[in-house]
Amino acid sequence: MKMEEMSLSGLDNSKLEVIAHEIYTDLIEDSCLGLCFEVHRAVKCGYFFLDDTDPDCTKDFEIVDQPGVDIFGQVYNQWKNKECVCPNCNRSIAASRFAPHLEKCLGMGRNSSRIANRRWGREMLGPQRVGMSAWIASSNNVNKSESDQEDNDDLNDNDWSYGSEKKAKKRKSDKNPNSPRRSKSLKHKNGELGGNSDPFKYNNNNNSSGINYETLGPEELRALLTTQCGVISEHTKKMCTRSLRCPQHTDEQRRSVRVYLLGPSASLPEPEGNVDNDSFDVTESQAIMSRLQWDGSSDISPSDSASSKASTNNSESRKTKKIKPHLSLVGSSGSSSSLTSSKKKKPKPPAPMTPSIYDDIN
Amino acid sequence: MNKDAQMRAAINQKLIETGERERLKELLKAKLIECGWKDQLKAHCKDVIKEKGLEHVTVDDLVAEITPKGRALVPDSVKKELLQRIRTFLAQHASL
Repeated sequence: MKMEEMSLSGLDNSKLEVIAHEIYTDLIEDSCLGLCFEVHRAVKCGYFFLDDTDPDCTKDFEIVDQPGVDIFGQVYNQWKNKECVCPNCNRSIAASRFAPHLEKCLGMGRNSSRIANRRWGREMLGPQRVGMSAWIASSNNVNKSESDQEDNDDLNDNDWSYGSEKKAKKRKSDKNPNSPRRSKSLKHKNGELGGNSDPFKYNNNNNSSGINYETLGPEELRALLTTQCGVISEHTKKMCTRSLRCPQHTDEQRRSVRVYLLGPSASLPEPEGNVDNDSFDVTESQAIMSRLQWDGSSDISPSDSASSKASTNNSESRKTKKIKPHLSLVGSSGSSSSLTSSKKKKPKPPAPMTPSIYDDIN
Repeated sequence: MNKDAQMRAAINQKLIETGERERLKELLKAKLIECGWKDQLKAHCKDVIKEKGLEHVTVDDLVAEITPKGRALVPDSVKKELLQRIRTFLAQHASL
C-alpha cells in the first residue's frame, strides 16, 4: 500500500490526466451500459414503445378551444336530449322532467301519493278504463267534473316528453278558470267513481271522502252516525262514510266512536239506521260538541260530495257504497259507465243490485 | 507497464473502497438526465430497435450502437465537472 502511494505521488501530471480520462470513460460507458440494459429490458417486456404517441391520434384528441363548443369540439347545449331512466317504472324521462316524474311515480310528496296510488289502481284495471273514461270525458258534458279529473290524470301521465309537456301546460291553462271545480271533482270522483277493487284506491277514497267530524254540529253528527259507519280514521282524523255494515271497521270501533261523540249513553245503532234517539243526552253531547265548530263545511256540497249525500240520505249512501264491489267485478267498462249512470242509479232500490248494474253497463 | 497496471488497479480499488466511484456514477447519471442525454440516447435506441426489429434486438447490438454515440453526446460541462472531481480525488490520494 505504501509502495503504491509512493508511486502514485510520484506520477507526473500528464499521467494523472490520462488516468482521470480513463476513469471518466469508464463511468460514461457504465452509464451507457446501464441504459442499454434498461432499454433492452423494456423492449423485451414490451413496454418500451408504450409512451409513444401517434401524431395522428393526438391530432384527433386535441383540446378544442373555440367559443360555443366544449373541449371535445361538441356543441354542448344538448342537455335537452339527456334522458334518465326511472328506477321505478323503467321509462326514460327527459332530464328536466325527471324529478317531477319521480315524485309522482314513487308516490312521495303531498299530492303525489294519491296520484301514484290512483295510477297503480288503473294499471290493475288495464288501459281500457283510461280510454273509456277519456271518451266519456270528451263526450259527456254532464260529467264535467269527471272530465276534469281525467284531464288531470292525463296531465299526470304526460311527463315523458317535451311535446306532451307543452300540451299539458296548455291544458292546464285552459282549465284554470275551473280550478275550484277541480278540487270538488276530486272529491266527487273519490266518492262516486270508486269502481275498482284495488284496496289502495279503496282506502284512498275512503280517506279523502271522509268527514271531518269537528266541522259537524251535534244534530249533523247524530244523523250521520245513524246512517254511517262513522269510525274516525287514525290517519286522516275523518269519519268513515260507508254504511253501518262497513267491513273495514268493527262494531266495537263504531260503538266507541259513538260513545266518544255522542256520550256514553249512545249505543251502536242498528244497521238499518234505527237509533234510539231518546237515549241521546243532548246536554251532555253539546258539552262535548261545544268545542266543535260548524263552519258550513264549504268543501262538501250536496251535488258533488258523496259523503254529504251520505250524511243526508241514508239509502242513497248505502246504495252507492254497496255498488262498489259489483262494479269492481265488471271491471273497466263497468266503472266508466258508472260515471254516466250514477245519477240514474240512485232512485233504484238497492235489493236487485247486480242486475241493475248490468243494465247500466248496457 | 506492469507498474502502470498495478497503479491503475490500486486507484480503481481506492475509488470503489471509498465509495467515490458510486458517488461519481450517481452524479453523472443525474447530470446526464438533466441535460437530456438520456432522452437523446433513448431516441437513438428506438431507431436502432426499429431497424433491427423488435424481436431480434440484443444487448450487444444496443451497446455497440449506443456507446460511441453516448460518449460523443456527453456535454462538455458534464465532462469537465466529472474530470475535475476525478482529479481532485486523485490529488487527495496522491498526496497521502
